[in-house]
Amino acid sequence: MNFDSYNLDAAIYDEMLLPDGSPREHSQQLYEMLLSISPERLSSVQEGVARSFLHEGIFFTVYGDEEAQERIIPVDCVPRVLSAPEWTLLDSGLAQRLRALNRFIDDVYNGAHAIADGVIPEELVIGCPNYRPEMLGYSPPEGVWVAICGSDLLRTHDGFFVLEDNLRSPSGVSYMIATRNAVKAGLRRLYRASRVREVEHYGNLLRQTLCELGPGGKPDPTIVLLSPGVYNAAFYEHMFLAHEIGAELVEGRDLLTRDGFVYMRTTAGLRRVDVIYRRVDDLFLDPFAFRPDSMLGVPGLLDACKRGNVTLVNAPGVGVADDKSVYPYVPDMIRYYLGEEPILGNVETYLCRRPADLEYTLDNLDKLVVKRVGESGGYGMLVGPHATPQERDEYAEQVRAAPADFIAQPVLTFSRAPCLVDGELEPRHVDLRPFILQGRETRIVPGAFCRVALRRGSLVVNSSQGGGGKDVWVLEE
Amino acid sequence: MGRYLERTECMCRLLQLQTEALVDRPARDIYVGWRRLYGVLRRIPPGGALALPDGDDFTLADSYTLAGDLTFERSNPDSVWNCFAQGRENARQMRHCISGEMWQRLNLAYLRLRDMEIEDIWLALPEGFYAGLAAETDAFDGAAQATMYRDEGWSFLRLGGFIERAQFAPALLLQQLAIDAESDGYAEEDWASLLEASHALEVYNRRYGAAVHPAAALDLLATDPLLPGSVYRSLKQISGEFATLGAGPGADSGYAAQRLIGRLLSLMQNEWPDSRDREGLLRRVLSEATNLHFMINEAYFDYPLTVRAG
Repeated sequence: MNFDSYNLDAAIYDEMLLPDGSPREHSQQLYEMLLSISPERLSSVQEGVARSFLHEGIFFTVYGDEEAQERIIPVDCVPRVLSAPEWTLLDSGLAQRLRALNRFIDDVYNGAHAIADGVIPEELVIGCPNYRPEMLGYSPPEGVWVAICGSDLLRTHDGFFVLEDNLRSPSGVSYMIATRNAVKAGLRRLYRASRVREVEHYGNLLRQTLCELGPGGKPDPTIVLLSPGVYNAAFYEHMFLAHEIGAELVEGRDLLTRDGFVYMRTTAGLRRVDVIYRRVDDLFLDPFAFRPDSMLGVPGLLDACKRGNVTLVNAPGVGVADDKSVYPYVPDMIRYYLGEEPILGNVETYLCRRPADLEYTLDNLDKLVVKRVGESGGYGMLVGPHATPQERDEYAEQVRAAPADFIAQPVLTFSRAPCLVDGELEPRHVDLRPFILQGRETRIVPGAFCRVALRRGSLVVNSSQGGGGKDVWVLEE
Repeated sequence: MGRYLERTECMCRLLQLQTEALVDRPARDIYVGWRRLYGVLRRIPPGGALALPDGDDFTLADSYTLAGDLTFERSNPDSVWNCFAQGRENARQMRHCISGEMWQRLNLAYLRLRDMEIEDIWLALPEGFYAGLAAETDAFDGAAQATMYRDEGWSFLRLGGFIERAQFAPALLLQQLAIDAESDGYAEEDWASLLEASHALEVYNRRYGAAVHPAAALDLLATDPLLPGSVYRSLKQISGEFATLGAGPGADSGYAAQRLIGRLLSLMQNEWPDSRDREGLLRRVLSEATNLHFMINEAYFDYPLTVRAG
């Protein structure tokens, strides 16, 4: 392979190469391997990775009008390498952030001191669609509302920035591990020589975390993973995680409540459940407490949770802290609750609910990314520089009609990494989704799922929008 | 999953014999084969009921249509494709309960099968396709035997397969008896192919010699305790899995299912030898085996919630 046609742009941070085209120190081994390997051999590694996903059946299911389609996330075989100091920074920054977010959520439902002290406007919290007044007064075990978090980070020449914190049902960890297994098998010699830190023990860490959050500190609690069912796009991940943590995979109909306790139907009768890792949205969790038409939930579940007889992970109502309108206040939360300066920065964000921000957004639509606060997955978003004048005009109308529903951020020229595209190495934009666990202590596996905007020039990394994945190699000291 | 894969295997075996017959068997034998297949599935063939052809002109084109209907037709719930795809879908839904080897074997076969149509196999070697797919399900069984944890998942996997056999075997025998009755006699070839489809021809030949007598074949297929596909052995295996699983939390249904299987075993063991109405006995087994499916569901999964936490 060679980098002859590699379009290195000094304005964009490259994960492997310095602006002069030489490799970064921690990418030296990977760089040399790429120079020495033939295009055919690297392509066969790439095919092996894809084949591994296909054979293992690692896919997400898309249900359309016709037959359901099983889709595989395209995974690039060239890993992204992070040095030990880089990871140390991320590790401490992410742990700090999750500590502050947990303190914030606890405060929102128990006293709202941050609102009283003017750290965050009340209307943002109360008006957030994911604010759950049903949770007022609730105190989860160990004060942990969010035990599992997947934060999205970008890197520029100025460092790492957190783009968003996914607190409700962060997904992708199964892809992180599957990608590692597939890429490791294809690049085994390089992997061994590079002294890459492992991620495969994520399941153990998750189990430890969940065990620490059992009601009343119960040792060895019975854990289940509550899934919306086989038709959910992320069912593979639910099955994978249930297997990894040794939990039963259940649907709402498999659980029931009695006298404030939760039980699971088994072939030997009812069995009490202590911890529920739920992958069902808040509103569908309990038809008594939330949407009465929910067929996915368990009647009486919230009552059992609030009585302290079962722990829901993550707790209902945590979405108040990953709302796009609340996001700009996270650095202030860190200062307020922890008395520390944020280790990881936020992306500058304009809240269109503020008149000045709205005016700025409308005047600079061609330079901004505008997002709906209630959307995710890259939907409902306008990438100003890539939009036509007509698209921008139409979007501006929507923003004017409901400014509180929108935020805007500058278009970040976030980093790129080499990817194998049509037999050649080409740079593609990448983000980083590490997974943070919070029990009695914070645990982060040294790795992440790296999402790749596979279309040339695209900044959208979401798998639903044509994005792919990449393995992340965090090197030992 | 066990049921779907067992049916896949049964269908493949029958279709393999049927496509082999197209090479050199008379049109009547081919007709009987299709008739038996559609009769077992209680399905109306494309183009309406089959008729015994007057001459030796039962065309390949007809067989092509019928094979397509039974193999790849998406709207036919019993087509080989649907049975296999449903088996694989069940496996996908309970991947955390089965071994990785089992899943991979099933998934790889599915990936090879999913885009195929009848024309892809017809001109090449259709019997080879059916034999290959039957071998895949056998290999899946082997992988399960070697790698699956012997918990209740294992018992349910086996139970599903045995119940399918306990329905499929009497249904097949009843079809043959009906064909014999219509023909005013029997054709040795029909029973020979039935034995072959039931993996029983070699055993039969060892025990009774080369000439195939319907009464002996019927006895073997219905009551032999050692023949894997016999009605009696299938019932016995179901009974064994019940003993392993216990009555379940829906105990009333569990006990009722156990009593039912006991009665059916007694029927085959004690009443069969002297019975003048063996068709009636087979019909009863077929009907009760269908009931078993629902009783098991109620005993172990959909049990009433009067049960107290233990």
